[in-house]
Amino acid sequence: MAGTLTEKSVVLWAWLSGAVLTIAVGGLVGYVVVKGAGSLSLHLVFGDTAPLDAMLLRRQVFDGIFPAMLGTLALVGLSITIAVPIGVAAGIYMAEFATSRIKAVFGLFFDILAGIPSILVGLFGFSVAVFLHHRVSDRIMPCLLISALSLAFLVLPYLIRTTQVALESLPRQVRITAPALGATRLQTLFWVLLPQSLSGIVSGVILSIGRCAEDTAVIMLTGVVATAGVPTSVLANYEALPFFIYTISAQYADQAELMRGYGAAIVLLAICALLFILATLIRHRLADHLLYGVR
Amino acid sequence: MFRDQLVKVLFGGAAAFSVAVTLLIFGFMIVLGAPLIKDGAFLALFTDSWLPGQGQVGIAPMIVGTLVIAGLALAFSFPVSLGCAALISGLGRGPLPALLNRLVRFMTGIPTVVYGFAGIFLLVPIIREWASRGSGLCVLSAALLLSVLIAPTMILFFVDAFAAVPRSYLVAAKALGATAVQRFVHIMIPGAWRGLTSGVVLASGRAVGDTLIALMIAGNAAVLPESLMDPARTLTAHIALVVAADFDSLEFRTLFACGIVLYLCTTAMVILTRRIGSASEKRQWPAP
Amino acid sequence: MSPPGGIKIKVRNLSFAYKENTVLNDLSMDIAALAVTAVVGPSGQGKSTLLSIFNRLWEDIAGAHLRGRVHIHLNGDYQDIYHRSCALPALRRQVGMVFQIPNPLPMSIYKNVAFPLKLSGVSNKRQKRLAVERALKQAFLWDEVQDRLHEDARHLSGGQQQRLCIARALVLKPEVLLLDEPTSSLDAAATEIVEQLIMRLKKNCTIVMVSHDMAQVERVADYGLTLSGGRVVNK
Repeated sequence: MAGTLTEKSVVLWAWLSGAVLTIAVGGLVGYVVVKGAGSLSLHLVFGDTAPLDAMLLRRQVFDGIFPAMLGTLALVGLSITIAVPIGVAAGIYMAEFATSRIKAVFGLFFDILAGIPSILVGLFGFSVAVFLHHRVSDRIMPCLLISALSLAFLVLPYLIRTTQVALESLPRQVRITAPALGATRLQTLFWVLLPQSLSGIVSGVILSIGRCAEDTAVIMLTGVVATAGVPTSVLANYEALPFFIYTISAQYADQAELMRGYGAAIVLLAICALLFILATLIRHRLADHLLYGVR
Repeated sequence: MFRDQLVKVLFGGAAAFSVAVTLLIFGFMIVLGAPLIKDGAFLALFTDSWLPGQGQVGIAPMIVGTLVIAGLALAFSFPVSLGCAALISGLGRGPLPALLNRLVRFMTGIPTVVYGFAGIFLLVPIIREWASRGSGLCVLSAALLLSVLIAPTMILFFVDAFAAVPRSYLVAAKALGATAVQRFVHIMIPGAWRGLTSGVVLASGRAVGDTLIALMIAGNAAVLPESLMDPARTLTAHIALVVAADFDSLEFRTLFACGIVLYLCTTAMVILTRRIGSASEKRQWPAP
Repeated sequence: MSPPGGIKIKVRNLSFAYKENTVLNDLSMDIAALAVTAVVGPSGQGKSTLLSIFNRLWEDIAGAHLRGRVHIHLNGDYQDIYHRSCALPALRRQVGMVFQIPNPLPMSIYKNVAFPLKLSGVSNKRQKRLAVERALKQAFLWDEVQDRLHEDARHLSGGQQQRLCIARALVLKPEVLLLDEPTSSLDAAATEIVEQLIMRLKKNCTIVMVSHDMAQVERVADYGLTLSGGRVVNK
C-alpha cells in the first residue's frame, strides 16, 4: 500500500511527542520532588521554633516557611474574597441578562483582560499604589491589600468566563421547567439555575485559588518581600511561598537554605495539585448532573 | 419587578467594573508613559540599546529577547504538541493516550516558579555541560523550558478542535478505507484548522507574557543575543528587574513603554483569535 | 471470477452482541452474487448492524463482540474477512458502503469522488479524472454536475448528495456495495432515480440493501431476508 512508511513515521512521531513531553515534565517535577523529599519535615515549616509557639504566634519563625505559608494563605483568601463576588456576578450578568451586543463587546474586553501578562497587572498594581501614596495617604505602599487587589484583577476574567459557561451550558429542559410553573426570572436564577451550575462555578473558583497561590510576577511588584514574618496587617509587607522559592533560587546562602527552597517547591506543588484534583472532581460531578437531569 | 431591576443593575455593574479595569490598566500605561513622548525620547526607545548609565534607555534588546525566546519556544512546542494531540485524538491505541491527556491537564496546575526552580538546578547545568560554554542561563534554556510551559495550552486546544470535527466525515472516510493516519491528515487537520490556529496564537500570548521563566533562566543581560547560548532579557523580565529603580526616572518610565508594547501585542492576539473563531462551540477556556 | 454457485457472501453461525444484548443470534445465510438482496424487518432488529458486519465498521463501538464466520468472495477467492491477515482499508475498498443520511466530505464534488483514489495512492491526474467521470455517470449524477465539479459538495440537494456518496463508493470499483436505507431521507423523485441506478449497478456489483419500505423491496430486490429477533426468516 502506498505510503506505509509515511504512515508508520507519522504514528511514530505522535508517540515520540508523547514520550518527549512526559519525560520533560516528569523529569522537571520529579527532580524537585526527589531532591526535596528529604527536607519535608516540621523543621522545614517551623525552623528552630517550637510548632505550637509558632502557630499561636507567640514566637517568630526564622528558618522555616511558616510565615510564607501564612502569607500565601492570607493573600489568597483576601484576593478571592474580592474577586469572587465581582466575577460571579459579572458572569451571571453575561449569561442571563446581557444582550448579544453587550456579550460580544464585554466578552472581547474580558478576553483582553485575560490575555494581559501578569507582570503588567503587577505593574498596574504598583502604579496604583504609588498614585494613592502621593495623592491619598502616605501610609499606602505596596502591601498585602494591593497585592490582593491585583491578583483579584488577574483572576477576574477567568471567574467571569467559567460562571458564564457553567450557566450557558445548562440544557433547555432545566431552563424552562421553573418558568413554566410561574417562577419569575430571579426565582429561576436563584432557585434553579445557580444551584444546578454551582459545580462549574465552584470548580472555577478553586482553579482561581490555585492561580492566586502560584503567582509570582504580580506579587513581586506589589508588596511581597523575602522576610517579613507572619502577615500582621493588610497594609504591610508579607511573605509568600512562590516568592520564597524564587528568592532562594536567585541567592541561597547555604545548602540548608537550598533544601528549604526544594521543600517549599514541593509544598507549593502539593497545594496546587490538590486544588486541581478538587476542581476536577467537582467538575465531573457537574457532568453527571447535566446528563442525568435534575438532582 | 424592582428586585429584578436591582439585581440586573448590580450584576451589570460588576461586569462594567471589570471592563473598566481592562481599560484602566491600559490607561495607566499610556498616562504614565506619556512623558516619554513629550521628552522626545520615543523613537529612541525602540532603537537604542539599554545603557541607562550612558543615558540610553532603548528597549529594543528586550523586544528582540522576547521575540527570540517566545518564537523558539513555539517552534519547539508546536510539533510536540501536535503530536501529543494526534496521539490523544485517535492516532494512539491502548491506555497510554488517555493517561497522556490526564497528564497534560494536570500540567496546567503546575506553578511556573516550580518549573523555573527545576530549570535552574536541572536544565541549566545540562545545557552548560552540553554547550561547554557560557553559564547555561541563555536563550536556549529559557526557550526549552517555556515550550514545556505552553505545551498544555496548545495540546488541549488542539484536542478540543479535533473532537469538534463532525463524526460523519470520519465515518465516511473510514468506510472508504482510510487508515487512521489518513483520516488524521485529510479530515481532522483541515477540519480543525481554526482551533489549531487559535491554539497557536493563544500559546504565543502565553509565551510572550511569561515573566518567571525568562527572569530565572534567560540570564537577563540587556543586550541583543547573538547566539542560542547567549543570555537575553525579555520585556517581562525587564519590568520585574527595573521596578526597583526610582519611580520618576526615565528608566522607570520605559517600563510603561514595555507595558504598552506587551498590552498591544497580547490584545492583537486576542482579537486575532476571535476573528479566526474557535472550532468548538463551547470554547475550552485555558487555565489562567 | 464468478463465485462458485453464485454465492458472494457466506455467513455461518454469526452472533453479535452489544453490551449484554444479543443483536444477531446464530445467523447463517448466503448472499447471491451480482444481485440485489434486501434486508428487511422491524426496526431495531439489527439490520444496519448486519451491514456493518460486512465491512467491519462496527469495530470502533465499545462493548461489542462477534462470533462466527463471514466469508466474502473477493479477487477470485473466498476470504475470511475476520482473519488477522485481512487488512481493513483494503477490505473497505472492495466492500463499499452508502449511509442513510448522505455524508459528503467538506470538499468539492470532484474531490469527494476522487478521495478514495487519493487514499489508495493513485496520483495520475488523467486516471483520476476518468475514474471520477465514470463513477459519476454510474451514479446518474454526471449530467447534473459536470459543469460545477469544483463547487462545494454540500451545496447539492439531498438526492444529489446521496448519488454523490454512491459515486464515491463506486469509484474504486468495489465488488460489494452495502446500502443502508439509501432513500429514506430522499423525496419520491430522488428515490426513483436512486432505485433505477441500483438496478443498473447490480450488473457489476453485489448489492446488499437495508430497507423498511416493502414496496421498494418489491420493485428493486432480487432476494429478500427478513431479520427478526436476530434470526433470518426467508422471503
